[in-house]
Amino acid sequence: MLFAVDFFLRRLVQGLVIVVLVAMLIFTLLRVVPGDPVRIMLGPMVTAEMAEETAQKMGLRDPVPVQFIRYAAQVISGDFGHSFVRSAQGGSTGGSRGGDTFDASNRAPVMGLILTALPYSLLLAGLALGISLVISLPIGIVAGLFSGRWPDRLALYLSSLFVSLPNIWLALVLIFLVSVKGGLLPAIGYQNWTYAILPALVLAIELSPVFIRSASVAVSSNMMESYVPSGIIRGLSRPRMIVAHVLRNSMIPLLNVVGIQAIGLLLGSLFVIEYAFNYPGVGLLMINAVFQRDFPVIQAIAILACTVLVLVNILVDFAATTIDRRLQY
Amino acid sequence: MTTRRQVLVGAGATLALGAVGMPLAAKAQGKKTVVLASMGPLTGNFDPTSHTTLGQGNFDKLIFSHLTRAPMEEGKTDVLEPDLALSWQIIDEHTLEFKLREGVKFHDGQDFSAADVKATYEYASQPDRPASSFYPGQVEVEVVDPLTVRIKTDKYGYPASTFWFVSSYLPILCAADIADPAKLQSRPNGTNSFKYVMTEGDRSTLEAFDGYYAGRPKIDEIVYAYVPDANTRVLGLMNGEYQIAERLEPEQYQSLLSNDTVAVRKGMSTENKYLHFRCNKAPFDDPRIRLAACHAIDREQILALMGDAGVASNCFVSPMKFGYTDIPNYPTYDPAESARLLEEAGFPGGKGLPQLEYITSIGFYPKTKEYGELIAAMLMEVGFDVQLTVLEPAAWEQAIYRGADGQGPGHMCDVGWMTGSPEPDLVLRPNWHSSAALINGVNDAEIDAALDKERATLDPAERMKVLAEETFPLLAAKVPSFSLFSAVVFHGAAKNLKGAYYYPNGPIDLTKADLV
Repeated sequence: MLFAVDFFLRRLVQGLVIVVLVAMLIFTLLRVVPGDPVRIMLGPMVTAEMAEETAQKMGLRDPVPVQFIRYAAQVISGDFGHSFVRSAQGGSTGGSRGGDTFDASNRAPVMGLILTALPYSLLLAGLALGISLVISLPIGIVAGLFSGRWPDRLALYLSSLFVSLPNIWLALVLIFLVSVKGGLLPAIGYQNWTYAILPALVLAIELSPVFIRSASVAVSSNMMESYVPSGIIRGLSRPRMIVAHVLRNSMIPLLNVVGIQAIGLLLGSLFVIEYAFNYPGVGLLMINAVFQRDFPVIQAIAILACTVLVLVNILVDFAATTIDRRLQY
Repeated sequence: MTTRRQVLVGAGATLALGAVGMPLAAKAQGKKTVVLASMGPLTGNFDPTSHTTLGQGNFDKLIFSHLTRAPMEEGKTDVLEPDLALSWQIIDEHTLEFKLREGVKFHDGQDFSAADVKATYEYASQPDRPASSFYPGQVEVEVVDPLTVRIKTDKYGYPASTFWFVSSYLPILCAADIADPAKLQSRPNGTNSFKYVMTEGDRSTLEAFDGYYAGRPKIDEIVYAYVPDANTRVLGLMNGEYQIAERLEPEQYQSLLSNDTVAVRKGMSTENKYLHFRCNKAPFDDPRIRLAACHAIDREQILALMGDAGVASNCFVSPMKFGYTDIPNYPTYDPAESARLLEEAGFPGGKGLPQLEYITSIGFYPKTKEYGELIAAMLMEVGFDVQLTVLEPAAWEQAIYRGADGQGPGHMCDVGWMTGSPEPDLVLRPNWHSSAALINGVNDAEIDAALDKERATLDPAERMKVLAEETFPLLAAKVPSFSLFSAVVFHGAAKNLKGAYYYPNGPIDLTKADLV
């Protein structure tokens, strides 16, 4: 119990530092790269004077550290602000003016936008993870059990093939073959959960090589451990030895891969895939926000993604120590 | 006994069957719905005067009517048809009269009358309204009777005839809405054939308006969906999710020509693509240097690169605009003349010229980066030292317009200009009159005088002559900007969608359309 408290306290403090650093980096980069959000908010033909006046009113001309401290105070109070460009009704861009200039009350709260999009992304990510594990665990485990033989080689070839397929290309090809030509699955946008299958398949194919290699390496190295022949000599059957001991011990590296690499990969690829499929999740929200210089949305999603990654990392490490008490993180 | 495994297997099988069967079954409905995959998003502020965005302009056109309708067919750019007005005439230099249609209703049930036209024109033309840059200037409107209005410009000192063509572009709002800005911004209320229902994220739904004056449209519902990626728009069109996909890429147009279920359409737009010179700073403050640059550019090579997406034109406005003509002295590809002009200006072979930054975009118009590289190479051939800066749309949009100090970054910019009526002044004045010159910053008294003169010419035939013989030749001699070509737009639609009308500036009229 004391171990758990100490572990979480230590890791959460470390995680907080990482999140703050990432937030500072994103915040600064957004303000350094070209592209003035005010022109997108108020429309391209807005006069230079009005654009400048609005930027000053919104504090966008203050020094970056001042802006960041103001933003951090706002976030600590639980307010991620309002979108620069998305309207309260959900419309997706700026370029309009109400009475005088920018009116924040007419724009959607960032957290509301994220909470609306999040379930779609969770469904997609969950489905992708599920499909990926279903594809890769059997292949990886069999490859590990028959290390050096044809199942191992087959797993290697499959992984190499999957890892070589660019996700955006695969997305377009699958939409064309499965949806346009085959008429088997819907592909663009979202009407019901079946719209998540095809994008999930693309993500799953991208994730699978990592899982296949991790599973096969973990199982194969465990099979070479001395406890395997010892157990069998002591009367355990080979299937029982594999299921109860080898697979259990192989789960530790796999858990790390799922937790850290897979979630990281998923977060990155989700953005691209949601854009390609016009799937209304957090990824599409983020990509459009980048195009439209919607700083509050970009910042909030980056902070939340970083927080998720840090938390998953902590939980994975904790789970690993629970499986194998010898591990120290 | 049913085991847990059996339950899981059963549930999995049900889900898998559902996955295959659901999407196709979901489409089997009686309602005639057109999903329009748009390349431009909506602003969420439904006051049409609050924005200048292309996507929402197209959306507005489905909901709002105008006094007149300009079909803008090639070769017949001066044709106006009745919409909310049945007839119109110029009374005098500063007065334009419209006789209005009787029995028209707004979507919220209110009757349309002259009071709505007065409220709309006086509100929309106020200089502080963002969309006022699309209109010639401020107006006063006299209500002669409930079905007659007079647009008056005497107080503001310019001819009322400038609203002749703009009457086909200025959306008519309800006077009661204009009096209540919050209501005006919260939902669009027009008199056209489709009325607004709701917006969910990037999808806005419209339904057929039973009270439309020309009869209820056959399409029951339009879903206006923002789909930023051109590939996604095309794939959605091909798999039947969308019935119309806007702004296809030229290559997509070619590949869809032989498709069984999709019909593609290519049409000249009201947009020309320009190479703007920053005329308010060296070296392009000297017209000879600008002309030298123009003579160094072989537009035939650019057109070969553009393929179907561009059409040759030797004018500062598109062939879909009133007054378009092939200008006799329009600069042609002539490297020797370019060299001569550079020498005359004191920069033989380009020696002594500073490095020139040429700003263009990627991902907004077709092939801008590719022909940008070509132009840069051609300019370097005659001695210009050109650095091409390729920016993504948000950064490019910030870079092209002049700042508060009157200056903009770089020396040349690639920009297109698309407006919604045949009126040429909507292109000419914002770009080359010193009161605006939004991008190039030109400030030339002769150009200003020529633009003022053509605007003040009331008789259309006489105005066309002034444009052809005075205004355009002067612009061609001073080239504050070089029009490279006229742009072509591509649309894709389901083959069973009949009767849709595609305007050259982007909007699509589905009033008479049907899914057969």
